Amino acid sequence: MLLNGVRSSVTGGQRGGSRGIAGAENPREGNEDSGSAVTRCEVLGERTMPVSLRESVGQVSDPRNLDASVEEVFRLMLGLECKRVMGAAVMDAESVTAVVGFGGVLSGACLFKSGAGTAMKIAAHMTGMEFSAVDDTVKDGIGEICNMLAGAWKGKVPELAANTGLSVPAVITGHDYKLHVQAPEFQIHHIYRFDDQVFEVTIVCDGLQ
Amino acid sequence: MSEIRALIVDDSSVMRKIIERSLRQAGLDALVVHEAGSGVEGLEVLKSNQVDLILSDINMPAMDGLEFLRQIRAQNLAVDAPVVMITTESSEEHVKQAIEAGAKGYIRKPFTAEQVKERVLPLLHAA
Repeated sequence: MLLNGVRSSVTGGQRGGSRGIAGAENPREGNEDSGSAVTRCEVLGERTMPVSLRESVGQVSDPRNLDASVEEVFRLMLGLECKRVMGAAVMDAESVTAVVGFGGVLSGACLFKSGAGTAMKIAAHMTGMEFSAVDDTVKDGIGEICNMLAGAWKGKVPELAANTGLSVPAVITGHDYKLHVQAPEFQIHHIYRFDDQVFEVTIVCDGLQ
Repeated sequence: MSEIRALIVDDSSVMRKIIERSLRQAGLDALVVHEAGSGVEGLEVLKSNQVDLILSDINMPAMDGLEFLRQIRAQNLAVDAPVVMITTESSEEHVKQAIEAGAKGYIRKPFTAEQVKERVLPLLHAA
């Protein structure tokens, strides 16, 4: 899945459906069966030595990288201590999802999802303003949070940082909608909490070159 | 420090406000800020305004930050204004490309106001 670089919002969706992203209930974290991808070459003398991403795929899919990225972004940009929690996230019926696509040696996306109230609280921490609705500023702020999460996550692995690009964020708002992603190489889906607010962050990888 | 005229280029209006707030927290109270949401808009601002400092994102629609930087130099705009990239891109290759295009500083998102202070103020003093 390679997302086009658009910053947009879409309202609507199904009512009564289950929350979250299809397949998120059974994430294949840390999956190392991700193919024999070759990502770059190093020239040794006159020979070209391929370096396989398999050597670092365990690092790429290490769930601790996502935790560290989330904690870093929330601490530095919002001044909030944010921790991973286990279990299901209970969210407002109205929710906000931001998506930033990856392209290059890894294709996929970083997804952020929270209830509307949590999104407004995050935007309030970012801007110093108060919000009573998910307006353009809230959507912009959540898109930027997702952008920084995606950048921080790929920055944990040098091969990804150098050879994977990011799309600009797309932001989706609505009630009880589902997001579907196709057969990822691996998927990391975590729930985090700050104060009494929860949100989900998902990394989906559907291709490694 | 006397009045500083800064151009902040980022497709996120929230991020532009955060960068402006960080500059003020760094002690730049007499700050006049111009904003642009892309490199194209940034070039238009520079054609009609003098600035002392430019802070630019890299990943933006219409024209990215690296091309914006190259166009500034190609069109002889804001020749004395130091450019600092503020971006989620953190690889050595991106830093190298930014420096080659003429950037004087590089700040990775997420960032703190202290990092902005440490990397921007010396450039203004040098200028």
